[in-house]
Amino acid sequence: MNDPVRLEILLNRFQAIVDEMAQVVSRTAHTVFVKETQDYGSVLVSRQGEVFAAPRRYGVLMMIGMPMAGALERIGDDVAEGDVFVSNDPDATKGMATHLSDVYLWTPVFIDGELLCWAWTFIHVSDIGGRVPGSIAPSSHEMIQEGLRIPPQKLFSGGALNRPLLDTILANCRTPEQNWGDMKACLAGLATAGRRVRELADQYGHAVIDGTIGQVLDYAEAQARRVIARVPDGSYRYTDYIEADMVGLGLVRIHVTLTIEGDGMLLDFTGTAPQVRAALNIPTYNHDGHWMLITGLVNWICTQEPRIAYNAGLVRPMKVEIPKGTILNPEPGAACGARYSTSHKVCDVTVGALARAVPMELPATDSGQGSILLVSVPDFATGGHKVSVIQPIVGGAGGRPVADGVDGTMVILNFLKNIPTEIFENEMPEILIRHYGLREDSGGPGRYRGGTGIEIEFSTSAPFTSITSRCMERYVFGPPGRLGGHMGATGYTTLNPDTARERDLGKIDVLEMEPGDTLRIGTQGGGGFGDPLERPPEEVAEDVANGVVHPKSAWRHYGVVLRDGGGIDGPATGRRRGGMRRERGWSEPPLYGFGAAREAHSALWDEALEDAVAVAGADLPVPLRQFIHRRLEDEVRQRLERGERVSPAGVQDILDGLRAGIPVR
Amino acid sequence: MSGYRLGVDIGGTFTDFQLMDEGSAEVIAWKTPSTPDDPSLAVARGLEELVRDRGVDPARIRYFAHGTTLAVNTLLERKGARTGVLMTRGFTDTLELRRLRLPKANDFFVPRPVPLVPRRLVRPVDERILSDGRVHRRLRRDDVEEQVDFLVGEGVETLAVCFLHAHRNDEHEELARRWIAGSFPDLYVTTSSDVWPQQREYERSLICVINAYVGDRMKSYFDTLQRRAKDLGLACRVFSTKSNGGVMTAASAARRPVETLLSGPASGVIGARYVAGAIGDGNVVTLDMGGTSVDVSIVGGTVGQATDATIGDIPVIMPAVDVSAVGAGGGSIAWTDAEGVLKVGPESAGAVPGPACYGRGGTRPTVTDAYLTAGIVGETGFLDGAMALDGGRARAAIDSLAPVLGRTRRETADAILQVTTANIYSQLMPQMARRGIDTSGFSMLAYGAAGPTQAFMLARELDLKRVIVPPSPGTLCALGCLVADFRADFVTSLWRDLDTFGERDLEDIYESLEAEARAWLAEQEVGLKEVHVHRSADLCHVGQSWEVNVPFPETPGLSVADVVRWFLERYQAIYGHHDPQAPVRMLEARLQIVGVTPKPPPGAAAALPAGAPRGRRLVHERGEAVEAAVWHRRDLGRGPVHEGPLVIEQYDTTTWVPAGFAVTVDGHGNLIGERLR
Repeated sequence: MNDPVRLEILLNRFQAIVDEMAQVVSRTAHTVFVKETQDYGSVLVSRQGEVFAAPRRYGVLMMIGMPMAGALERIGDDVAEGDVFVSNDPDATKGMATHLSDVYLWTPVFIDGELLCWAWTFIHVSDIGGRVPGSIAPSSHEMIQEGLRIPPQKLFSGGALNRPLLDTILANCRTPEQNWGDMKACLAGLATAGRRVRELADQYGHAVIDGTIGQVLDYAEAQARRVIARVPDGSYRYTDYIEADMVGLGLVRIHVTLTIEGDGMLLDFTGTAPQVRAALNIPTYNHDGHWMLITGLVNWICTQEPRIAYNAGLVRPMKVEIPKGTILNPEPGAACGARYSTSHKVCDVTVGALARAVPMELPATDSGQGSILLVSVPDFATGGHKVSVIQPIVGGAGGRPVADGVDGTMVILNFLKNIPTEIFENEMPEILIRHYGLREDSGGPGRYRGGTGIEIEFSTSAPFTSITSRCMERYVFGPPGRLGGHMGATGYTTLNPDTARERDLGKIDVLEMEPGDTLRIGTQGGGGFGDPLERPPEEVAEDVANGVVHPKSAWRHYGVVLRDGGGIDGPATGRRRGGMRRERGWSEPPLYGFGAAREAHSALWDEALEDAVAVAGADLPVPLRQFIHRRLEDEVRQRLERGERVSPAGVQDILDGLRAGIPVR
Repeated sequence: MSGYRLGVDIGGTFTDFQLMDEGSAEVIAWKTPSTPDDPSLAVARGLEELVRDRGVDPARIRYFAHGTTLAVNTLLERKGARTGVLMTRGFTDTLELRRLRLPKANDFFVPRPVPLVPRRLVRPVDERILSDGRVHRRLRRDDVEEQVDFLVGEGVETLAVCFLHAHRNDEHEELARRWIAGSFPDLYVTTSSDVWPQQREYERSLICVINAYVGDRMKSYFDTLQRRAKDLGLACRVFSTKSNGGVMTAASAARRPVETLLSGPASGVIGARYVAGAIGDGNVVTLDMGGTSVDVSIVGGTVGQATDATIGDIPVIMPAVDVSAVGAGGGSIAWTDAEGVLKVGPESAGAVPGPACYGRGGTRPTVTDAYLTAGIVGETGFLDGAMALDGGRARAAIDSLAPVLGRTRRETADAILQVTTANIYSQLMPQMARRGIDTSGFSMLAYGAAGPTQAFMLARELDLKRVIVPPSPGTLCALGCLVADFRADFVTSLWRDLDTFGERDLEDIYESLEAEARAWLAEQEVGLKEVHVHRSADLCHVGQSWEVNVPFPETPGLSVADVVRWFLERYQAIYGHHDPQAPVRMLEARLQIVGVTPKPPPGAAAALPAGAPRGRRLVHERGEAVEAAVWHRRDLGRGPVHEGPLVIEQYDTTTWVPAGFAVTVDGHGNLIGERLR
């Protein structure tokens, strides 16, 4: 480092600029996405397109992995003071935008006529057009259904508004006033950032600031590489599945081989499922360090190195390899509105893979569900509908090597807030919330227990009450435990529980409720960490006293025998635990506690066979491959279920047979 | 014969005193070590010193207000009463779930928030009130008694009753309170609708639970304090400061201790505003820098109030003086990371062991050690030499970093101070942006033991033109106590569209709040100069999920049309646009009553020529070694202008004035620093 003192001073000053920018955006923006879910961003970007300063507490924190170079390449050299560029197009920006609802605005910062850097913002707008209000529907199967695409272009040219462009954008949204309001908030943030950068250049000199931008990036990279270098070299595989039964796609495989070599890493996603005809694709354009692929790894590095400089240098060591035509690197035009579920699953597989190397630095798997429960009832007064968020429906966090998991929410979604029942019922008196609390006994047992999920129960008094909840996950495979820890509970949805009309609904997409109907939803518990038989009996007894673990589970999973009054029966506990240790027959705890459903799946499908099915037909045109892939999976499954052997090498023959049966010219 | 007003601020390390002569407005200030295990003991000792050393007749003290951190410390240290909670069936996990949001981002090992009350001591009661206040399931006495029986059997000492929608209809909470008082007369009971009847079950319940959690200790503390004061011959009543910058009687404080949680920082801001107001400077950024914290507040004419304060991870929605923590103070530890980059904080040496130069066992370099090594602070230290500093230890600590940074000892100290300034700057700027305040044209008012030492360096970065250092910056909170007014907040949650309001509705709502407020003021039984009533409302457009607080003018009468107009004006000011067609909803009606106490007008003293500096010493700052004159503050005279660089020493702090600033002492004894052009 050239000057370790000036570097720290300017790191602070850069941080002040992006934090101030974030405050300006969030104070003056005015839609729910910004205020409640923090879905906006504000950063400073180097001339080369790397984020060199980003907020650590406000807005979307993963902007450090947003690739800006594609957008810069697209706009070329025609850049002047007072220009503001706009885009939301994943394809035209080569993976900067990842769905159309995120509108990006950015502006050059010139010092004495020379480009120093860029100020950059985005905001999730309420609606950008497309086939459904709010623009995002999991069932959309091509991007064109998801709204207006804005390739990078000038919204302001030398300070002058491009009115025709703005009018065109706003004419294609359902919420033009709100969108323009939010865009103006971004413009205010950009103006603030430009002013502050110029002040800094005045104070320290253009050359010093210019040089320091490169240094802060190198600094973050050096810090990240130091953390990575501590990890043993090797290749670490992990697989998980998106439960896309909601859109008729069954299990969609996400597979990674994480290779650590020295102080760098490669994330190879070969073996991941082909792109899907649903809004679950992520247009990453195979970018190294792409933000939708690295949330787990960035959290790991920041946990290990809390004071790390927070910029794109941190993701430089994270190389990426994703075959084209897969769900993580689709061809242009693939639907991607609801890509959050996919991104969360990528987080799970990268953390799962890394855990093979450094299990004591990572938590067990969290609930994996970041769903928002929406209700709509007829508005008798206006003849329309009233729509409101009931609650975010997330589950518990995984147990950690140092502590139990967080109850009722996930570390990855740390910013999420719930809705006070008093406010919700005031907005929508047709709905009565009967229960909102922790889901007892749902956390995966472990030395460190997984966080509990939540349970919510409500009834309606309105006809045609409509409930939607996108991104429900882990109703089939629960969140795996780690190092002897058990799986957390899977999610459930029950209509009219404890009545004759009770129905287990599984994941819901859209549900219509009648007056008097009651719906109960339970979310997943986090996976447990470590051997539950190592959990001190006092902690188990405390959990039982507090009702978060049932006495039966204390006995069954933790081997703790409680007396009637709640005290621990020490000798009986010792005998019970001894017996359980002998019975389970392992001395080293298994790294993953997948649970019965996932183990049954793995018993049928070995990894090599799944790899072969995932990559088969990669040379086919996308629609044909999508069509054949589903048939191929079905065919292989049927053969396996009949007890036939299917070898990985035989997959191509099966595919060829299916291909021959389709009369496509 | 004129009387005295006494202000006392009990801090973690010192208990500070200011005594004002009501005739001359002259103030004397002193400190005595705090006694955390028995906080009122230090108050008694300080009063004894006053009587013994200064010959003040305690009977002539006519007004005694004090601030204590007892409630906030009890909360932070989790040393409160064993508290039980009654909640509506189905919602007993309200404290466990919080608002879900976690205190830290990007941290897999973020601590799991632990509620104040364990889950088994939160008991369900089978009752339900709907959002419009109608009773859906009626409360039953046998149910309440059964649950309280269980809790008492579990050893709870205090009880909080928090039912859903109780802000709308407090009938069930009041019934429960009465039944419990009948069956368990010794139990300390608080109800959520009584303490702060605002919509939002988590935040309201939490305030109620905190009140129960700290209430017991606060009550016995006030009892002891009043007894001790009486034993010492104090005839006047004891008042306590509040988070909102006001004061209340000790009896009110014992009943509603939750209102004292943030009173410490609030008093400092009140003291700062008093000082700034006396010299006609309405717009100041206050900077309170002590050993373990740096707090700022923005006073733009009036003291800013916030309803989103937090204590640790605990949100407190009752109005409080808007203070932001922006750093870790003089005890912050300097270190270098694996890449050799210099960092300051967030780890702090705190009060124990404290900076290396305190000689209490600390060896790691702190900001205070850097002040000393850079030459800004002298080895005679503070409190007239009673707190001398060990320069050798400070230098040894700084030397541990110098080789890593490739700098000399003094350059290293200088570097630590520059990074400290940058740290505070980077936390301060977003706070100003959050409030939408442009501080150019503001002055900085510095207090706390290290505020005046750091203030000019920070003001230079912030491009503020002026720095004010009050006469006794180390005890400004105590001054705040003795000049604070009686102040109380009242709220009612409406969440109603304005177009549903009848002609008299608005007036009725505010009249009822005002009646409540005036009853509170009457209870305080104090002589007041004047009374102000500030009405405001939290308003939003229908469908929005956040609100704008709109203060109403003090003119009588209220119409829906007025309120809509004021809202749209405020909306325009914040967002730069407004929509006159969009319907407006009133969420909260708020009212603050202020009973202004008589205060002696600050008298301006005549000019006084300067004496001579004590000496000169070399100070390293921003890469340069400069020779600075070292003055004792009392020798600066009143009126003469002194140009930086200079060091000004006094009882409770050291002020560093770099080159580029000139200072003068004004008629009130304030040090006024102006930027030279």
